[in-house]
Amino acid sequence: MTRTRRTVGLALAALGMTAALAGCSTTASTGSGDADLTFMVFETPALGPEFWDQSIENALTDLPDVTVNKIVSPGGDRTAYAKQLQASDQFPDVLASITPRDFLEAGLLEPFDQDWLDENFILPEANDIDGGTYIPPTNSQVLPLVFYNKALFAEHGVEVPETWAEFVAAIEKFRAADVTPLELAGSEPWAASMPLVGLSSADVLGQDPEWIQKRYAGEVSFSDPLYVGALEKARDLVEMEAYDPAALSVDYATANRNFLDGKSAMYPMGSWFTGSSYITPEQAENIGAFPWPTDDGSIVVPFNVGGTTAVSSQSEHVDEATSFAKAWSLDPANLTVLIETDGAYPMFKDRSIEDFDVSVSGLYLDTYAYVTDENSKVSSFGWVNNNDSLAPGMNDALYALSQALFSDGDVAAQAAQLDKEWDAAVGK
Amino acid sequence: MSTRQRSRWGLAPIAGIAIILYAAFLLWPLVSSFVTSFTNSSPLKATSSFVGADNYVELFQDPRLYRTLGFTLVVVVFVTVVSNALGLLFALLLNSPSRNYRVMRTLVFIPQVLSGVIVAFIWRSVLNQNGLLNSTLQSMGLTDEAVSWLGTPELATFSICVVVSWMTIAFSTVVYTASLQSVPSELYEAARVDGAGALSRFRNVTFPMIAPGVTISVTLCLITTLKLYDIIAVLTGGGPANSTQSLAFFLVEVAFTENRFGYSSAIAMFLLLLTAVVAYSSTGLLRRREAHL
Repeated sequence: MTRTRRTVGLALAALGMTAALAGCSTTASTGSGDADLTFMVFETPALGPEFWDQSIENALTDLPDVTVNKIVSPGGDRTAYAKQLQASDQFPDVLASITPRDFLEAGLLEPFDQDWLDENFILPEANDIDGGTYIPPTNSQVLPLVFYNKALFAEHGVEVPETWAEFVAAIEKFRAADVTPLELAGSEPWAASMPLVGLSSADVLGQDPEWIQKRYAGEVSFSDPLYVGALEKARDLVEMEAYDPAALSVDYATANRNFLDGKSAMYPMGSWFTGSSYITPEQAENIGAFPWPTDDGSIVVPFNVGGTTAVSSQSEHVDEATSFAKAWSLDPANLTVLIETDGAYPMFKDRSIEDFDVSVSGLYLDTYAYVTDENSKVSSFGWVNNNDSLAPGMNDALYALSQALFSDGDVAAQAAQLDKEWDAAVGK
Repeated sequence: MSTRQRSRWGLAPIAGIAIILYAAFLLWPLVSSFVTSFTNSSPLKATSSFVGADNYVELFQDPRLYRTLGFTLVVVVFVTVVSNALGLLFALLLNSPSRNYRVMRTLVFIPQVLSGVIVAFIWRSVLNQNGLLNSTLQSMGLTDEAVSWLGTPELATFSICVVVSWMTIAFSTVVYTASLQSVPSELYEAARVDGAGALSRFRNVTFPMIAPGVTISVTLCLITTLKLYDIIAVLTGGGPANSTQSLAFFLVEVAFTENRFGYSSAIAMFLLLLTAVVAYSSTGLLRRREAHL
């Protein structure tokens, strides 16, 4: 009988341990209030645990009744992780840097009030989706810019191109000199799509800024000459050997290193590349940037207004979650880190870059001019979080197409496939 | 109540825990997934509707199913053949009781105990443009420029096959080593007395005696490779241009990119059925072969 009791005891202990382990979570708690919130964040080398913990603590300064439990997304795809959490009834109260459109049909996000947006941001409607803003428009990016190596340009007598023809000539000159003309982190689908994002933004939206809205309305298609022309240019870049033959085996870190080591002349990448996470001030002195070239040389800037915090409409404490999200978004200390490390361009009303206590490179300031100057800005194709954001799943289709262009020259068929996937994504 | 009966009842709580865990983490998800496959469930919506067999009808008309199935089968065949052939070869080479061989067997087994994600990260650095493989080939003068090991559908598929085989060879080696050590030495001595050479001893003694090991190794290789996901997710992300998406990768994409739990559950059911049929058929086939040998 003693043995039986011992066995039962062991079994209960094991069950207890299992239950205890199942109850463990990867969250860390900050604050000591009545409203217990969860905040899904993501970590990068620049935005490490200390950054998030400090930013949460700062945001809670004026919210004594709120406690925040941090949930760290295990991978870079925050949107996918948020969906997993929603599927298991654990949708966080506040979420960092997700794609709002994916969650809107299910009504999972709470819009920010327009008065607060008008009061605090330069472009208060920049992230508007069907009349609601779900991510505060705190900062912006230009993507892609074409970064170039000044020393290589000087060595090979290449001028900074302004038109597509000059861009092609520069590529041919570098190719003839056995220098890789364009760096590409082709093994990472999002990075492989940078040239296509540039072409779709500059050529398609540059000529018809309403193109994405028209695509939703079924008035235009990817198979139309305008978009096919952009695809043909993307394919031309492959055929003229603008990239390294092994470009689709290059990861992001290697691509950054290749470009900064002078192994390639140009690098289409987002403006975050000007941040200290990617480039030192010394390296930045040898790097310049120009917007993606157009046929007639007109400047078209693929522009994306970003932000961080989205609020769950399902939260038991929507008001507190919104207050926390607002406090987090308006904390200049957070934007200071993003400016320095991620090259973010500030979009706070009445607060220019000089008002932030930041140390940035000349490259950052040069590219920031594309934001502050009067010029033709269009939505960065596939990156914006407003009415111009693509239908769910279409970003992945665009990424796959960017890689497919390396081995498949049938541009018309690929455009038709994009149309088919778009129609499926919007349920037509 | 006899001592034996009391002892049996004493073990009941442990069996109960096992049954609870089995039901909670295997049976319940399985039944739940089966039910979900007949709905339009989405990870973003609390409610869903019954859609009958629509998901299955759509699945068999979806060209992505056939593309991912084709890729999966290529990997399954390659990995099963290569890992079993090389696993048997390594086992034969390392089949010795001496300490040095024991150390070598441990080394061979290391890839199997590593997580697939870690293995994929290691190999990604090897297969990268400036990775170890290209550097070696270029320094030996075998290639002028870097080979795009992950950049074309054919080479990326081949690379994945090699990486997965690298892991499964370790498992096969252990299975075959255990099988070889269970072969009675008297049989070899008798064969030698009968004048059998090395090849003849392998064909007539070794191979028939390790037949159960072949069944285990082949079947587990098939099952492991059919549900391959982690290595692909890290090594190629399903690219280039979706050419290295396995069925399991397709399933996850549909669930969390397209937000279609119902449809992804139908894919899961198809994958489960396929795995069961393949595993059952191969086991049956190999068991019959064991009986013949």
